[in-house]
Amino acid sequence: MMASSARSALGACCALIIATGPARAACELKLGIVGGLSGATAQWGAAIKAAVEFVAADANAAGGLKVGAESCHVTTSAFDTKATAEGAAAAGNGLASQGIKFVLGPVVSPEATGIKPIAARNGMLVFLNSYAKNAIGPQWPLVFHEGPGPSVWADPIVKVAKSQFGLKSVVVVAPNDQGGTDIASVDADVYRQNGIEATTEYYQRGTANFAPIVTRILSHGPDAVDTASSAPSDAGVLVKQLRQAGFKGSIGRLGGAATDEILRISGGPEVLKDAYWYENVAIADPRVRAVYDDYRRVMGTAAPENTTMVLWVAAGRLLLKAISEAGTISDTKAVAATLRRQTVDDKYLGRGRWTGQKFFGINQEISYPFGIGLMVNGEMKPIQRADPPAE
Amino acid sequence: MTSFVTATLIGVSLGAQYALLALGFTLIFGILGVVNFAHGGFYVLGGYAAYWFVSAAGLPYPLAVVLATLVTGILGYLFELLLIERLVDDHLATLMLTLGLYLMLSTGILITFGPESPLFEFPLNGTLRAGPFYFPIANLVVLAVCLLAILGVYALIFRTDLGRALRALADDRQVAAAQGLRPRLLFPLAFALACGLAGMTGALVTPILSLAPHVGDPVLATSFLIVILGGLGSIGGATVAAFLVGLVEAYSSVYLGGSKGALALFVLVLIILVVRPSGLFGRIAREA
Repeated sequence: MMASSARSALGACCALIIATGPARAACELKLGIVGGLSGATAQWGAAIKAAVEFVAADANAAGGLKVGAESCHVTTSAFDTKATAEGAAAAGNGLASQGIKFVLGPVVSPEATGIKPIAARNGMLVFLNSYAKNAIGPQWPLVFHEGPGPSVWADPIVKVAKSQFGLKSVVVVAPNDQGGTDIASVDADVYRQNGIEATTEYYQRGTANFAPIVTRILSHGPDAVDTASSAPSDAGVLVKQLRQAGFKGSIGRLGGAATDEILRISGGPEVLKDAYWYENVAIADPRVRAVYDDYRRVMGTAAPENTTMVLWVAAGRLLLKAISEAGTISDTKAVAATLRRQTVDDKYLGRGRWTGQKFFGINQEISYPFGIGLMVNGEMKPIQRADPPAE
Repeated sequence: MTSFVTATLIGVSLGAQYALLALGFTLIFGILGVVNFAHGGFYVLGGYAAYWFVSAAGLPYPLAVVLATLVTGILGYLFELLLIERLVDDHLATLMLTLGLYLMLSTGILITFGPESPLFEFPLNGTLRAGPFYFPIANLVVLAVCLLAILGVYALIFRTDLGRALRALADDRQVAAAQGLRPRLLFPLAFALACGLAGMTGALVTPILSLAPHVGDPVLATSFLIVILGGLGSIGGATVAAFLVGLVEAYSSVYLGGSKGALALFVLVLIILVVRPSGLFGRIAREA
């Protein structure tokens, strides 16, 4: 009786394996997600994760991704880097051990530094969004920039800020690691090119109370303080303490968009008062807003508020298109070659262009129209849409 | 001169906050011999508990601070009683237990409240100004409460039977136990007191800075630095070191900048530890 039951169970298992095996093995495209899912940059990491999961779910809802003769089921695997280089390197190794070839993320420069050697060693194609001066380059042919850094968008924003607030001097504040210094130095150069005296001040990442640094900033007597690539929560505290100390000038942010977080922590528009910032996308554009409706429809929940999500959606969709056209889910060089030939035109973001040749020496940076945010006397102005300047 | 006075005010304010944190940290080490890696977690939990009591339960902020202190204290009591107590003499095990608790607390908060900072404001706004000098009213209130709490801890430790019992256990657990003191009863109380202090600091400080799941990370590092500088287990040492660190941090950041300032602080700590390896007020070796 026991032997008979065991045989029946074994038979059932075999039947199940036969029934499900070929379907599972047919074609599965697994996308890696790498970002700080916890820690100070968690909202940027959460935006990547939400975007890639949405892109995967959207492709699956359409019957899977067409790759050659097959329809591939798109899945994801996420790793938390805690916004560190070692975390990103560990994530790269973890993804390699799963045989994953296509990676979206990370965001901050130390993470980018950590993952690139691992990705190169394992032939991975990586889309990242670091503002580091060496984020991409000819030595990393399989690394693409999901969105441009300040070298592309800082100049038009500074021109708008100078015209609106009459800036003559600015202090650019950022953390003292590569994630801060690379961006702050580019921002400062752009200010100087526009005839604005720029000073940089750096702080140790992990600083919780900015009151001493605020005292030092105020000794420069600037017209504006730019929080550059400071973590959103750091920037919020910095703004709050600047205003408490009596700073009346404008607040700039030529770095990762984090307006909502800064407003929440600093105390709202009446505290922020006069400000200008880079916005990843022209968020008021109805075509851009449509991504949030589609996200809710496909995922059944609201999308994260951080607008970096929209850029990651665009990058993910472009990557899937290139994989489909290249007809392979394993040959990253072939996919990269196809990707370089793609027209930068997204259903949500509109027509963009490939950039990067001038600043990085390689034309692998996707630049879509972006937004210029402006707040005057506590009143939020409509986000201005700006096209990425031609190189 | 303006910068010097401003830096002094900031340094004293920082020192009071650090002292409250470091007192809890050093109490646990001094009495139990446990390095509590979850200390930053209780700080964050205190902040989120106060935020929840204000925003979801609609309670006034002062009551929320009291309740947050109680919640973190009770959690600390249960954690010690149910987990730490079983392995209290195994330093590696308690290190892993407290580190694990910290990860659970911060991840739990991240899942529950999300990665973004919530809107959690101190009920009093405004800044006191006298010429070029300024002091935010919220910071003044927090400074006053921190100083009162520090005095309260001193009174508890040095003026009550409970404090005497805890100090006796810290001095020599076996002799204290032979005198009739019960570590199994007193250790959870000491842990609750320390965690309650961390939670209260979180409830007080996060509305004037920021509240996010990760804000406990630097708290642990700062507490560790202060307690080592003051002498592991020394209450007086932790208090003096906290104000010293606060002032050095303020002066060095103002005059040297954020990067060199942080370096100056660690260089100073290094020099003090070279001259006095057991810290400013530490004993040569811990016997308990």
